[in-house]
Amino acid sequence: MTGDEQFGAARRRRVLMIVVFLIFGILMLRLYELQLLYHGEMNKKSEENSVRAIVQDPIRGYMFDRNGQLIVDVGPSYAITLVPIDFDMKNLDLLSSLLQIDPAALRDRIARARAYSPFLPSRIKRDVDIRTLGAIEEHLTSLRGISYQIESKRVYRTKAHASHLLGYRREISDAQLAQAGEDYRQGDLVGVAGLEARYEPMLRGEKGYKFVSVNAKGQIIGSFEDGKKNLSAREGYDLFLSVDFGLQAYAESLMTEHSGAIVALDPSDGGILALVSKPDYDPSIMSGVTPLDLWSQLQTDSTKPLFNRATLTRYPPGSAFKMVLAAAALQEGIVDENYRIRCTGGFRFGNRVFKDLHVHGSVNIVEAIQRSCNVFFYQLMLKVGFDKWTEYGRRFGFGQLTGTDTGDETWGLLPSGAYYDSRYGKGKWTQGFLISLAIGQGEIGVSPLQMARYAAALANGGIVYQPHAVEFIHNKSTNKMERVRYDSSLVGLSPRVLGLLREGMRRVVQEPGGTGGLARIPGIVSAGKTGTAENPHGEAHAWYVGFAPFDNPKIAVAIMLENSGFGGAKAAPLARLLMERYLFGGLPRIHPKAAPAQTAPVRTISQAVH
Amino acid sequence: MIEYLKEYFDFKGFLICLALVGIGLLSVYSATYDVGAAASFEKQVIWTGVGFLALLAAAYFPIRALQRIAIPLYVVTIAILVVVLVIGKTISGSKSWFGLAGLGGQPSEFAKVATALALAAFLARTTTSLSNGKHLLTAIGIVLAPMILVIAEPDLGTAVVFFAMMLPVLYWAGASNFVLAAILAPIIAATGALLGTLTFLFTLLIGGALLYFTRENRFAAAVVFALTLAMGLTVQSAYERLQPYQQKRISTFLNPDLDPKGAGYNVLQSKVAIGSGGFFGKGYLQGTQTQLNFIPEQWTDFIFCVPGEEFGFLGASVIVVLFTALLLHGIRIARLSSNKFGSVAAIGIVGIFAVHVLVNIGMSMGLTPVIGIPLPFLSYGGSALAANMASVGLLMNFYANRKEH
Repeated sequence: MTGDEQFGAARRRRVLMIVVFLIFGILMLRLYELQLLYHGEMNKKSEENSVRAIVQDPIRGYMFDRNGQLIVDVGPSYAITLVPIDFDMKNLDLLSSLLQIDPAALRDRIARARAYSPFLPSRIKRDVDIRTLGAIEEHLTSLRGISYQIESKRVYRTKAHASHLLGYRREISDAQLAQAGEDYRQGDLVGVAGLEARYEPMLRGEKGYKFVSVNAKGQIIGSFEDGKKNLSAREGYDLFLSVDFGLQAYAESLMTEHSGAIVALDPSDGGILALVSKPDYDPSIMSGVTPLDLWSQLQTDSTKPLFNRATLTRYPPGSAFKMVLAAAALQEGIVDENYRIRCTGGFRFGNRVFKDLHVHGSVNIVEAIQRSCNVFFYQLMLKVGFDKWTEYGRRFGFGQLTGTDTGDETWGLLPSGAYYDSRYGKGKWTQGFLISLAIGQGEIGVSPLQMARYAAALANGGIVYQPHAVEFIHNKSTNKMERVRYDSSLVGLSPRVLGLLREGMRRVVQEPGGTGGLARIPGIVSAGKTGTAENPHGEAHAWYVGFAPFDNPKIAVAIMLENSGFGGAKAAPLARLLMERYLFGGLPRIHPKAAPAQTAPVRTISQAVH
Repeated sequence: MIEYLKEYFDFKGFLICLALVGIGLLSVYSATYDVGAAASFEKQVIWTGVGFLALLAAAYFPIRALQRIAIPLYVVTIAILVVVLVIGKTISGSKSWFGLAGLGGQPSEFAKVATALALAAFLARTTTSLSNGKHLLTAIGIVLAPMILVIAEPDLGTAVVFFAMMLPVLYWAGASNFVLAAILAPIIAATGALLGTLTFLFTLLIGGALLYFTRENRFAAAVVFALTLAMGLTVQSAYERLQPYQQKRISTFLNPDLDPKGAGYNVLQSKVAIGSGGFFGKGYLQGTQTQLNFIPEQWTDFIFCVPGEEFGFLGASVIVVLFTALLLHGIRIARLSSNKFGSVAAIGIVGIFAVHVLVNIGMSMGLTPVIGIPLPFLSYGGSALAANMASVGLLMNFYANRKEH
């Protein structure tokens, strides 16, 4: 029965025809099933398709400052919308001149709106100013299909910028949108920096949905089932910050002429009182939809205003780091307060001479901190050794993330023997590297935030807190204030050691011969340490860390001024003004120049108040 | 005069084609007129013109010459498929599009017809005998070569078409039942293997039974059964290495409700569109599913829901009837043709149309997997339309030359 004699056999033709009839039968049966048997069910599904959910954006959470002042508010912003099917393209030029959008760009936007839906309104320009809105209103009758909707944008009720702290929002990217799922849709703003980014899930709230029926053309014909299924939007949670915006604004004003950063912490819990990075920008320019040209201008500006110098710079701390080495030496019992060396203004190690600024003569550890004697610390480093130094640096929180909630931060760089081994190879680096590290120079990097935390730990008896800006979150679902929990760790210093370090720092400010005399606050005893970070690319960076009042510290600060020279000369005076402003609550103080504070205390308003 | 025309002009084939092309244009217009972005109705109209030229050229090409150039044409087509694979620009994830004068063409559309013609030319040779193993393998090889190339693109849908076209052609040309069973059994088992071990065992049983009942000698049957088993096992392990989108298509075919927003979405919306059409349909340009763009890129593979929704059961059955008539007409031409080349080629064309119709309409009603092959004459796409109209032209040619020997 094999072979080609079967070609075109009648039986085979019948088999093929049966196959064709089978195909016909299967398809017809299914058509009958879907279109006649299940028609009702399918039609219901199709009608449900013509119920549209109109999204209602929630009100974003507010931010309040330490004193309960409303700082970050929400205000209206107007978006111009267009229904493609209703819009007459003859009016394109008129619309383009009213909205000040290039006609080609506008045409493109309308095409995209049409692709989304010809029948539903799409936003074609957001955050228009009130004059544009007025002009549109005037022409509303001739511009069919054009309308506007109210959206919300950020309103800042403070003189401070706090741009790096508060952060900003941008339109959600396609990649984020793909990940985010139901919570976002195209065109939504999402926090991408600072607190706006970190607390985005709390701040954004939950979208509401209003269900409406649309006809076959997609036009709204009424609410669906009398709105019984509508979901109302839930407001975003409010943030209560530790930041004092009066202080923040003042700190910013101190930095007007500078590039650098100020971080002020509450030493009792690590709450951020102020966090300044300069240059900055006015956050209200990014309160709604940021125009592209402005955005690229901010990004390409050579002074890098978007860069958060308070948390992202890693400069050497200079002498401000000396308490780390002193802490290691004292706590490990390598030296005590009676250990003295003679400073001759220089230190020879191998064939290199490491210099000091002055000839300090015989100094002990407290005096060495007070007068910032380099020679003392060069020799101390060789006694303490690399490992102990690194360990105490780590205990003070260097070389690691602080865990702050204010946005991106640097780990900084706290070198160790292992680090140098991997970088230069085992045995390829010498003890000479250590000499620079002894005075906080060379291959070491710290952020102003890390330095402020270090100052706070010295102020509060050795507790390293997770620095943070948010203290409480007002949960709108439960209507409860929830305290945010943060970590802390102990440096592990005995009261005696701590006392010596603090005494050194007090003398820096309060005693003649201290390097931080310019930080002295009339009527208040404060403590601190200056630093000057050598910068191979130009003028040194000035550092100051300190706290006040000495006996019951209320504020700890770190100030870093890029390319400004000596810390004692440049950064210390700013620290004084800042701490004074905070401790005296902004009340005016008179300092007659004639009378130096330490010899004849001036009666000040604060003393009058106390 | 009319008698003369009837003798040499295939009115029936031509009119069926005309009707389907007309319904196709109406459907594409309805699906695209308010979108205007990726698909353009004007382009489709231009391609319809090109299609008529292709139809006329195919209908009046001298049949002897056609038979002579069939194999060279096939070789050129294979070469083009190779070129496409190497340099073709990628559209929607597969490399089959060839930039052609700005319109874009898909060479695999023409490759299907060219392969059917080459296979027919080979089988029509007086020296060819399907009982000769070497000749049989050559015939299978003619189909396998382009099939492997389109799988590599990767365009699984078109590969299925090549395979499904081969079966009726070999059958019509006289291949024994055992040969067909031997081709079919591994494929059934392989398909079963995709759906899990239990279905694999079941399909293995069917394959075994097929081979058993058609066996000519036990040894050959046993070898083929071993091959079937090996094929199934290979496929099962190959499934793990499939593109995730292909795996997803297989799994959502089994249960579209699993993924109502993703791959199963099209099928669900398409079923809703067709089902909600009811008996009379919602009226032209009045289909809410169609007009509100519930089915993405509806104008390509899911075009059937447009007439399904807007013209209802009435319109949809007209389309199914027209296709059925075209297929039966093709078989009739194959029978009438005393010319073996024309006869076998006609069955090849019928086979191509049959798979497209069954799989495409089936998938828009949730019966068959979503393997992405267009509905002839209706789906948006120029090269497919031109190739399909040329195929009808060929049927008309075989009809006109049916008495040539």
